[in-house]
Amino acid sequence: MTPGTDDRPGRWLDAQLHLLDRQVLDVDDVPVAVVDDLELSEVPFDQEISIDTPPPVITALLSGAAIATRIFGGRPPESRMQRTPWAAVVDIGVVIKLAVGRDTLDLAWTERWVRDRIIGRIPGGRHIPGRKRSEHSGSDERGGS
Amino acid sequence: MIITDLLGSRVFGPDFLGFVSDVRFFLESETEGQSARLYGILISPHARSSSLGFERSGVRSPWPIAALVRWRHRGSFLVRWSDIERLEVGRIQLRPGFERASPELP
Repeated sequence: MTPGTDDRPGRWLDAQLHLLDRQVLDVDDVPVAVVDDLELSEVPFDQEISIDTPPPVITALLSGAAIATRIFGGRPPESRMQRTPWAAVVDIGVVIKLAVGRDTLDLAWTERWVRDRIIGRIPGGRHIPGRKRSEHSGSDERGGS
Repeated sequence: MIITDLLGSRVFGPDFLGFVSDVRFFLESETEGQSARLYGILISPHARSSSLGFERSGVRSPWPIAALVRWRHRGSFLVRWSDIERLEVGRIQLRPGFERASPELP
């Protein structure tokens, strides 16, 4: 049996072993998601693949409602999955680290919506816990969700 | 295409060979934004499930789990992308004369 890898400098990743179910941290080391699936670039499907077809690449990490399909089978609808572009990944280890903040990612939209539309409208809901009133008055409208 | 379209698929050469237990990618470097290209698929003749990597590394402990997982995934092998002839829903057809490679990671 020939070796399953070669001597090229680089890194080998097995999807289930190194990527799926890993926690994703943003640039501030804040947990933002778990990798539920991987999106690949397009390849010929239901037709013969010519021998010189380039292999697909990972285009995005997908997170979302995957637990039901993992238990009962089937395929989660892509519209229900949130994409994190692969280009934003900077490190793959016990966790996957991104080069961007969570506010730039689609997958944090529900949290942003709750923060801006609900929590932010409650009196006192726009201050950041742990900061003194003088530090945040008028300068930070990010809210405290 | 998403990765769960491949995982668990039945793989056929001339006959049934097994199930896709994992998909291997290669990064040419670890610099930011480096493409992860699909290198091949790992095929397990007996099990669809993930094998925790025991058959791909030298890990031997805890021995009851390692022994059980190695037994479940006995005969696993890797097939490179260039040996894949056709992808269908739940089924992968390999080219005639495909090459079996070791599933071990470096």
